[in-house]
Amino acid sequence: MSQTIQVPNICEFMNRHLLDVFETMLSMKVAAVADAGLPQFEDRVTGCVAFAGEHVNGAVYLHLGTLFAGQVAAAMLGLAPADLGEAEVNDVVGEVTNMLTGGLKSWLCDSGAECAVSTPAIIRGSSFVIEPVPDVKREWLVFDCHPNRIVIELHVKVG
Amino acid sequence: MAIKILSVDDSRTIRLIVGKAFRPYHVTIVEAANGEEGLAAAAREKPDLIILDVTMPVMDGVTMLTKLKEDPALKAIPVIMLTAESGRENVLQIARLGVRDYLVKPFKEDQLIEKAGRCVTLEKRPAAAPV
Repeated sequence: MSQTIQVPNICEFMNRHLLDVFETMLSMKVAAVADAGLPQFEDRVTGCVAFAGEHVNGAVYLHLGTLFAGQVAAAMLGLAPADLGEAEVNDVVGEVTNMLTGGLKSWLCDSGAECAVSTPAIIRGSSFVIEPVPDVKREWLVFDCHPNRIVIELHVKVG
Repeated sequence: MAIKILSVDDSRTIRLIVGKAFRPYHVTIVEAANGEEGLAAAAREKPDLIILDVTMPVMDGVTMLTKLKEDPALKAIPVIMLTAESGRENVLQIARLGVRDYLVKPFKEDQLIEKAGRCVTLEKRPAAAPV
């Protein structure tokens, strides 16, 4: 396996890739926020896609406030937020998470760490916490999409 | 006569985006949610172009494409693969299967139209009259 696969490299890739996904698919300008405190969502929609291989495994969680998730779905489908139901919003958040993790998978594979990805899952709620299992490092990546925040919660185990 | 495009993707979001991209053109979209449904739809509908996802449940895009190429009645239909994975090995595997083109997610609708336009002749619908 290449020596370049370390958690900071993965975070650096995800920082760039999220900007690309939001700009390309949603025409939304997003900026990474360094040293941001963890945003407090009242209600949120969380997409999850796991990745697993011999040298690296983990999961990508994309947290969006519920209202913002509706705006993201509307932008992607070219519809008004009021015309979208929960199922459509879930599907879009799942697909965005899938694109984020698919890009990560490609980067990992090109770096010598073959892995496979799961199909997306969605969690909805207001006060849930996702705890990593022992030996898995958790990183928070926070982005500003004025006036909303986008959060990636990355669980990674390398080696 | 409208061009017929078969969109095979397990994500309803992607099928909707594909439908939206071709709305300004004389195109009929047929949808399938996995490779198995896609093969059946291809045999039934004889589309002019197939836009095919790679990773899907039941039957993935690579298996569907392999079966498509083995069928003398369907093998000439051009296929554009749509994939969330841009890794070298993935792209090489897709290229070896004889696809006409591929597009990596995230993608802009214009890119999809441009690639489809290289496979089939896309004719614009007349613009709607202002109200």
